[in-house]
Amino acid sequence: MSSKEEAKERIINWMKEQKKSKHYFNDICKAVPEINMREAKKLINELVSEGRLRYWTSGSTTMYMLPGVDDVEKEEKGMV
Amino acid sequence: MALKHKTPMLDELMKGPWPSFVTDIKRVAERKPQCDDILGLMELSYKDREGHWKHGGIVGVFGYGGGVIGRYCDRPDLFPNVAHFHTMRVNQPASKFYKTDVLRKLCDIWEEKGSGLFNFHGSTGDIILLGTTTDQLEAIFYELTHELGMDLGGSGSNMRTPEGCVGRARCEWSCLDTQDIVYDITMRYQDELHRPAFPYKFKFKVSGCPNDCVAAIARADCSIIGTWRDKIRIDQEAVRAYVGGELVPHGGADGPEKRPLDIQAEVIDKCPTKCMEWDGKNLKIWDEDCVRCMHCINIMPRALRPGEDVGATILVGSKAPILEGAQLSSVIIPFMKMEPPYEEFHEFVGKMWDWWMEHGKNRERLGELIQRLGMREFLRATDVKPDPRMVNTPRYNPYIFYDPDDVPGGWSRDPKAYRERHQP
Amino acid sequence: MPFDPNDIMKDRLTDIGPPKYDKFFPPIVKENYGKWKYHEILEPGVLLHVSETGAKLYSVRVGTARLVTVDYIREVCDIADKYCDGYLRWTTRNNIEFLITDESKLRPLIEDLKSRGNWFPIGGTGASITNIVHTQGWIHCHTPATDSSGIVKAVMDELFEYFGSHKLPAQVRIALACCLNMCGAVHCSDIAILGVHRKPPFIEHERVQNVCEIPLVIASCPTAAIKPKKVGEYKSIEINEARCMFCGNCYTMCPALPIADQDGDGIAIWVGGKVSNSRVPPMFSKLAIPYLPNEPPRWPSTVKAVKKIVEIYASDARRYERIGEWINRIGWERFFEKTGFEFRHEHIDDYRLAMTTWRTTTQFKF
Repeated sequence: MSSKEEAKERIINWMKEQKKSKHYFNDICKAVPEINMREAKKLINELVSEGRLRYWTSGSTTMYMLPGVDDVEKEEKGMV
Repeated sequence: MALKHKTPMLDELMKGPWPSFVTDIKRVAERKPQCDDILGLMELSYKDREGHWKHGGIVGVFGYGGGVIGRYCDRPDLFPNVAHFHTMRVNQPASKFYKTDVLRKLCDIWEEKGSGLFNFHGSTGDIILLGTTTDQLEAIFYELTHELGMDLGGSGSNMRTPEGCVGRARCEWSCLDTQDIVYDITMRYQDELHRPAFPYKFKFKVSGCPNDCVAAIARADCSIIGTWRDKIRIDQEAVRAYVGGELVPHGGADGPEKRPLDIQAEVIDKCPTKCMEWDGKNLKIWDEDCVRCMHCINIMPRALRPGEDVGATILVGSKAPILEGAQLSSVIIPFMKMEPPYEEFHEFVGKMWDWWMEHGKNRERLGELIQRLGMREFLRATDVKPDPRMVNTPRYNPYIFYDPDDVPGGWSRDPKAYRERHQP
Repeated sequence: MPFDPNDIMKDRLTDIGPPKYDKFFPPIVKENYGKWKYHEILEPGVLLHVSETGAKLYSVRVGTARLVTVDYIREVCDIADKYCDGYLRWTTRNNIEFLITDESKLRPLIEDLKSRGNWFPIGGTGASITNIVHTQGWIHCHTPATDSSGIVKAVMDELFEYFGSHKLPAQVRIALACCLNMCGAVHCSDIAILGVHRKPPFIEHERVQNVCEIPLVIASCPTAAIKPKKVGEYKSIEINEARCMFCGNCYTMCPALPIADQDGDGIAIWVGGKVSNSRVPPMFSKLAIPYLPNEPPRWPSTVKAVKKIVEIYASDARRYERIGEWINRIGWERFFEKTGFEFRHEHIDDYRLAMTTWRTTTQFKF
């Protein structure tokens, strides 16, 4: 596994270990402390485009979460 | 077709001389059930004196973290057609010039796939498509990009859609190519616009002159305001024409009547630095004392014009009150030429964002971070030298956080040598 | 290729940005870009821009409701096609400008606009009250303390004579935000109408653990006023109500914390802000009235208060003085005296930097 893929794995694993389901970008970067934020953003972008992370936004701010199979349905039923 | 919901309170807003959104929505409600239901819901809010919307957060178009805001009604039992009613923000062309063909196409898409309701425009400048369902989002995005050549704007913790004044397209005062600067920022930072990774929102606004028609100084994290550093251009004959009552003062802003301008009272006495003098024939301006407030130019637009050595003052940090209170932007770079390819500006933006991303707490705007860590840290991070133009006054408290690098020997001391000079 | 809902990645375009700005410029703007020499307001709402080349561009400005429908935009397009070769623009303050190069079409356009009922009021230029910039309110916001579009309609109906005339000492910029998050920044307006919540959210303890994620709710509070708390059987939260800033962030995260309250919510009025650098530097708007009740559908107290400020300013200010400049000249004690607004403890700042607003001189007026 390339170091980039390894770092992406670490991000996913960090997300799985957390109590909260949604995280700010800043906090996710703690999973890969040796990588600067601009580079971390590229990894997180890739994870989003691979469907392994998804966005959650309040309109004013944005968080990231692991996708579940029925996220949208849950949200539409008011069970966020 | 009779409308489903009675709206006696809203109907009161169909009266009066100002355009009525109720009358407008009602005519579309005849054929669009969403509009019928939103009027019903609004009527309920008018009765209850409370809003009836809940927030959603997941919905969006794939790969973008901004541009769509989820919205759900809290009375879907009464208003099923607006149960899911999401917003899409569409990035407007700079300065909001349009040709009707593109607007008509947008209306067709939105009539078919959404509520048919817009905000023209949202506060930040985007065209707001108000109300659609999750299953339509991708289809609308596809048609916007393929048929209109349009893209979504910003929301969430990203760069928000940049906005500028009408600029050189139709204003004689613009010291900047505002459209081109807005377009450059928008295109260069598409990733920052669509894929949020900042601590909070970040806004750019560009005004061509210190009149600041887009309120850049009050509502942009980075305000770019046109200015000049040479002399106000004077047409003395036109000045005399204003005084003689041959030209309408203030470009007609106080009425179209010609009247002799009282140049002493209306221009010279209003000058904040008293840098002008009128001897009955000629207007003298001591340009070295001018602070470019625009008042004299505004009052005598045919006689006075901004100088020709134009550029931008870059200010940072303004924001609405949440959380530390409202802030205006502060001067960081008194003058930057601001010409394509804008490399100096991009370099500044890169340093500014790196610093904010690294040090900003979640939901901390740039202006608040500068307050928390100090202007010195910001200037260091962006390689900008201190300048008296950055302050109204130097500090009046003596609590200076000295830098050990600026003191001979740093903060290390020689206790032994000290005690050789002093008994304990 | 039409959109394929089963394969959203097919032919997907992303990051194309907005259309380039000059794509929709009328030819006269392309030809005279950067060459404009001067402008004149020929009558309220009608601008003439003259280029160094001698070219003349007429703009006819009309107010809009901002909240508009496809039918409205199509009607606007019909007008622009008939008189403007299809070219038009919007201003920052929600006005439309119909752009005309052929002078012979100017009068027919104006007559046409006037013939269409109250849809297209002409004005908003110079020393007028131009259109109100505002937020969503009850039509679409999830944390509003008041409505937006309805209040704007009621206020503009009452101030209508000032939209289509130039009879004020200077321009008056009014803005409305339906809560203090101010998604439309209103804090530097001549008159700001601001929705205010006065009661912290209440907690539906039996719902919280089912519909909310408690750690996220706690993290959402900007003043750290929310803590976890077990209430009987339920995992829930508690709110330090004294620290609540009424931002609604917690309600965004957790619909079991409603903030809206029909008797708590209402409107505050602020005055004296400006953003231009003309004469005096930009200024914040300051509190004039801390609370007025929400009074749909015609909002009489708010309309009356705004009108009172405008009328006293109009009769008392000197030429070119914005509301803030006028108040600074006469003094706040005189402002409250002239308007009859009660000066209360809410007017004296007790938040950060409060001290910078207290009077530290013996100079004041009796």
